[in-house]
Amino acid sequence: MHTENQSPQTVNVAGSASWQVELDHVSVTYPNGTRALSDVSLRIEPGEMVSIIGLSGSGKSTLIRTINGLVAATQGVVTVGPHQVNALSGRALRDVRGQIGMIFQGFNLAERTDVLHNVLVGRFAHLPLWRTLLDLPTKHDRNIALGALDSVGILETVWTRAGALSGGQKQRVAIARALSQEPSVMLADEPVASLDPPTSHAVMGDLRRINQQYGLTVLINLHLIDLAKQYTTRLIGLRDGRLVYDGPVQNATDKDFEEVYGRPIQARDLLGN
Amino acid sequence: MTTTTALTDTTDDIAARIPPKSRQLWRTLVGISALLLFTIATTIPAIGGINIDLASIVHNWHNGYSKMLQMLQPNFDFLPRTWRPMVETLQMALVGAAASAVVSISLTLWAAKPTNPDGLTRSIVRTMINVIRAVPDLVYATVLVAMVGVGALPGVLTLFLFNIGIVVKLVSEAIDSADHSYMEAGRAAGGTQTQINRSTALAQTWPLFANQWLYTLELNVRISAILGIVGAGGIGRLLDERRAFYAYSDVSIIILEILVVVIAIELLSNFIRKRLV
Ligand SMILES: Nc1ncnc2c1ncn2[C@@H]1O[C@H](COP(=O)(O)OP(=O)(O)O)[C@@H](O)[C@H]1O
Ligand SMILES: [Mg+2]
Repeated sequence: MHTENQSPQTVNVAGSASWQVELDHVSVTYPNGTRALSDVSLRIEPGEMVSIIGLSGSGKSTLIRTINGLVAATQGVVTVGPHQVNALSGRALRDVRGQIGMIFQGFNLAERTDVLHNVLVGRFAHLPLWRTLLDLPTKHDRNIALGALDSVGILETVWTRAGALSGGQKQRVAIARALSQEPSVMLADEPVASLDPPTSHAVMGDLRRINQQYGLTVLINLHLIDLAKQYTTRLIGLRDGRLVYDGPVQNATDKDFEEVYGRPIQARDLLGN
Repeated sequence: MTTTTALTDTTDDIAARIPPKSRQLWRTLVGISALLLFTIATTIPAIGGINIDLASIVHNWHNGYSKMLQMLQPNFDFLPRTWRPMVETLQMALVGAAASAVVSISLTLWAAKPTNPDGLTRSIVRTMINVIRAVPDLVYATVLVAMVGVGALPGVLTLFLFNIGIVVKLVSEAIDSADHSYMEAGRAAGGTQTQINRSTALAQTWPLFANQWLYTLELNVRISAILGIVGAGGIGRLLDERRAFYAYSDVSIIILEILVVVIAIELLSNFIRKRLV
């Protein structure tokens, strides 16, 4: 067996404190003048499992990117754990990003590289530059990466070229990459939009397990109502960059969803089955 | 509010609403005729064009004819004397390509926008590359022969500069136009651009590099064959020497040999290229 000489260790996500996320009157206007977020205020407690729903273009991706500073808030205050993200830059911002995991709709893997190197991207913030340059991660970092792969059940793909994997496997590699950061918050931007229904459920299940097992704060952008209801506990609704709904999932009625979407619910708002 | 109508009913309506397509044909015609006129004008000496005297082909025909006859009888006995210079040419080509390949990696990553978001350093590198590319290879060779003396060294240096210009320009432009979504993941994980470049961008762009490196090797074999004419070593020096002695049978065997080697290198590099993808 290929696992004999490897000793992947358990990812120590539980060891890192779970963080709260707070947006205080946050607005984002892109350089071209598009106002993507308008005066959004919300507060997510450590360990919550939250879905952000809204139509395409409603500002979901923008909101989630203000949390790790990939998009800068043009107004307002973004606080993640003890850090005021919108006031940080350079090294300090990179350090905070190192503690915020993120997964993407398009997986964002380096497809020509093997899975291990993709997962090791999650160790960037912990590795000195010379180790990256010489491609010499420590045994510790390597073991964390292997443990992360094992925890999403795809350790056997470790030497495979990322581009050769199926969509579901790719998203699991991306989750492993985020987990190997040993993050305090996990962000997911439409993580299942490129996947078929069974794989979508599997990936959502992985995210829920991460939330329950490690008590990690998880924020997921979704446009499918039934997935939001089934896998998350709190719902945030965006419409034209404004927060139009915020409450527990079980209280959300079809009318609330129609309010968020600005139209009747349609079949394509549901994953189905 | 509009009501839905049957498709057939709206056909007339659609025809009326199609936006007019801008007519490009006359513009194309004007462009082509202008180009044609300009080209003809450049060959009229009276208005400063170059003087192409087609008649001289007829006048000097006998001159060329006798040389042609000699060239059609390649002197195979001369072959052994060509081995060493030919090996030197191949060495120059390989060393120039290899040295430029090593240096091209970081220069290319500095010159491409996705791998170097900093506008200042990017434009410095790009300007440098454009300057290097602006100078023709024979000019480099002539100047370098004057600077470092006759031999293989000025040849290698010429090829090195020439290759840097090609690889950095072509690969950085290919990087510019490719998709790099994996970089966002590296950035989100707290990576620096250098880390992202080293551990992901390099692997992603590797085939682009390898392709151009092989291409420069092909070019180098062809170019280094003539660099010798200005004193920069290799088979070209021998070719120039035999030509100076009017030994056209020797010249023709050298040309044949260059032809065979160039084709062989191209076949080899095509073979490697296929394995790369
Ligand atoms: N980089 C950008 N530059 C300019 N406008 C953008 C950019 N990214 C997103 N937008 C615009 O901001 C709005 C919100 O986009 P986004 O946050 O991607 O919404 P969602 O993820 O809900 O589809 C849209 O109108 C979109 O066109
Ligand atoms: Mg989006």
